[in-house]
Amino acid sequence: MTSTITTSTAGTDPLRSSRALLDIRRLSVSFQTRNGIFPAVSDIDMTLNEGEVLGVVGESGSGKSVTMLAMMGLLPFNATIEAERFAFADHDMLTLPDRARRRLTGNDIAMIFQEPATSLNPSFTIGYQIDETLKVHEGGRRRQRRERAVELLDRVGIPAPRKRLGDYPHQLSGGMNQRVMIAIAIACNPRLLIADEPTTALDVTIQAQILELLLQLQQERGMAMILITHDMGVVAEAAERISVMYAGQLVETGRAGEVFHRPRHPYTGALLDALPERHPGQARLPTIPGVVPGIGDRPTGCLFNPRCRFAREDCRQQRPELLTMGEADDPRATTGHADQHQARCFHPLETDVSADRDTGARS
Amino acid sequence: MLNFLFRKLLMIVPTFLGVTIITFALVHMIPGDPVAIMAGERGLSPERHAQMMAQLGLDRPLWQQYLDFLWRLMHGDLGQSLVTHNAILSEFMSRFPATLELSVCALIFAIGLGIPLGVIAGIKRGSIIDHGVMGTALTGYSMPIFWWGLLLIILFSGILGWTPVSGRLSSSFWIDTPTHFMLIDTLLSDAPGAFMDAVRHLILPAVCLGTIPLAVIARMTRSSILEVLGEDYIRTARAKGLAPWRIIAVHALRNAMIPVTTVIGLQIGLLFAGAILTETIFSWPGIGKWLIDSVSRRDYPALQGGILLIATMVMIVNLVVDLLYGLINPRIRHQAE
Repeated sequence: MTSTITTSTAGTDPLRSSRALLDIRRLSVSFQTRNGIFPAVSDIDMTLNEGEVLGVVGESGSGKSVTMLAMMGLLPFNATIEAERFAFADHDMLTLPDRARRRLTGNDIAMIFQEPATSLNPSFTIGYQIDETLKVHEGGRRRQRRERAVELLDRVGIPAPRKRLGDYPHQLSGGMNQRVMIAIAIACNPRLLIADEPTTALDVTIQAQILELLLQLQQERGMAMILITHDMGVVAEAAERISVMYAGQLVETGRAGEVFHRPRHPYTGALLDALPERHPGQARLPTIPGVVPGIGDRPTGCLFNPRCRFAREDCRQQRPELLTMGEADDPRATTGHADQHQARCFHPLETDVSADRDTGARS
Repeated sequence: MLNFLFRKLLMIVPTFLGVTIITFALVHMIPGDPVAIMAGERGLSPERHAQMMAQLGLDRPLWQQYLDFLWRLMHGDLGQSLVTHNAILSEFMSRFPATLELSVCALIFAIGLGIPLGVIAGIKRGSIIDHGVMGTALTGYSMPIFWWGLLLIILFSGILGWTPVSGRLSSSFWIDTPTHFMLIDTLLSDAPGAFMDAVRHLILPAVCLGTIPLAVIARMTRSSILEVLGEDYIRTARAKGLAPWRIIAVHALRNAMIPVTTVIGLQIGLLFAGAILTETIFSWPGIGKWLIDSVSRRDYPALQGGILLIATMVMIVNLVVDLLYGLINPRIRHQAE
């Protein structure tokens, strides 16, 4: 999906687009639990420009959602956030007072969630729930806000939007509810939209429609978007850049095409290998043995080593750092930190994956 | 909605019949009979006693008496008191406002204090406030009404002397009672200080009667709020950038109120039962005191009629709560349609 790169910054301030919208350096989130401190996320780097789409991939428990909730300020009170730098649009999110932060959330940063059915309040009409965001962030007359709500519902593809304003969430299907959630999220024209597994809970046929809608909105409004998923296929369709997370760490990051064609971390390789599209006609798909390590069972050395086919002695001893993979022929490699292909591995994969993987992922 | 209402109304018929059977049986199980009680210590000759019983129709078999009671009931006749010979309905209606006034004030006290306390305890879960509120609630819930009432009287009327011990209004006031609700009547009258006097009479019994509902409502609100705060839509509300008070007062409370409403409805039934004890302790001239007096006089028609009217009231309240429930919870409303 290279087309998004050329059109995505349209409509935004050119001066601003040169600087990163989101800039996170060495973000760590830990939870105070009964059994001590649990580091859910450690040393995450993430940068995002205006209008850019970043895919964040990883299994359940890899820390994807925690990172995003930290960004929204939605973590529970027993969570501690530490970072070298945590900036959104020149606001220092680490020191921003609550009140100022609430002016950003729902307004400049919006988020949609995995379960549309439970993410909307069952006791209020969808009209009320859309209007609330508009009222809190933009104010204005009730009648005008109502027209805006109708426009928004219409834009996200809800038929007869004016009639739907008085409906309750339980009267709509899951797909329709997710459209309402999207309408709420884009109500104040956010500069960053975080979509946390927006299609996971939906029917397969609806999934594609919702994803398509999100990408359309992203392009026409020039929003930056972070798409969290554990579906490599979804990322392949949507994202310009990919960050792969494992057990609270960033294990690989880079431009989507590169990560797909030349995955360097064995975990990324294994995730790509688990795509059904890559094994047509095969009855059994390759799997990654074992599960993401939990609170007490994080291994010494590389966190992935117990599940890694290529693990050697040094992998079990030492924890690898995120290293830039050599791409001398790529002009983008020198343009900035964000575009570099990096992987957290002592022995990165060397095999160049042929183009058939790419087409397979897109189908 | 109409269908829903109709089904609920239909359910009332068997309940109502059941109540008549139970009250009738219970009333006649009380040892002794009204004639012997009226005769007092001197007693009557067995012949005279039998004659009196026959006169009152109490010598017939119980099933006959029951059917007679039911037959008259269907004609809207609750009978007459054996003691005062007044119609039961008018006896009841003249006392009921006092009970209603007391119960409503107790309920306002319980809801008005219980919901905020429950919400605060829920939000500040695990804090000193939470433990304090829940500990007090448990104590209040465990306190027998008659004991709690006596403690209140000893402290506030006896030691502190802030409130009167009993009754609805000091005898120095003589006012018209067009509505039979003392708070309203005293407001309507020109007597200076009468309203405050009525309030001072009302406070202790209302607090005494409202304590158990207060504890139940506070505990239910707390657990309900805790459950709701973990819901996805609360996260959505936070993601919208709403202020914390708005998230609690609008998004959490509306949903948390659904189970609390049910509990309040159930408490209203218990409130009438509690009112009987409370009225006895505070000499409150309501239904409770009247029923207790009727028991000791074996005034069968008064007891049957009184209990039946209260039971009807409870059924109506439950019906209203059911309807309210649909109003609060849109999912129920649409299910019913």
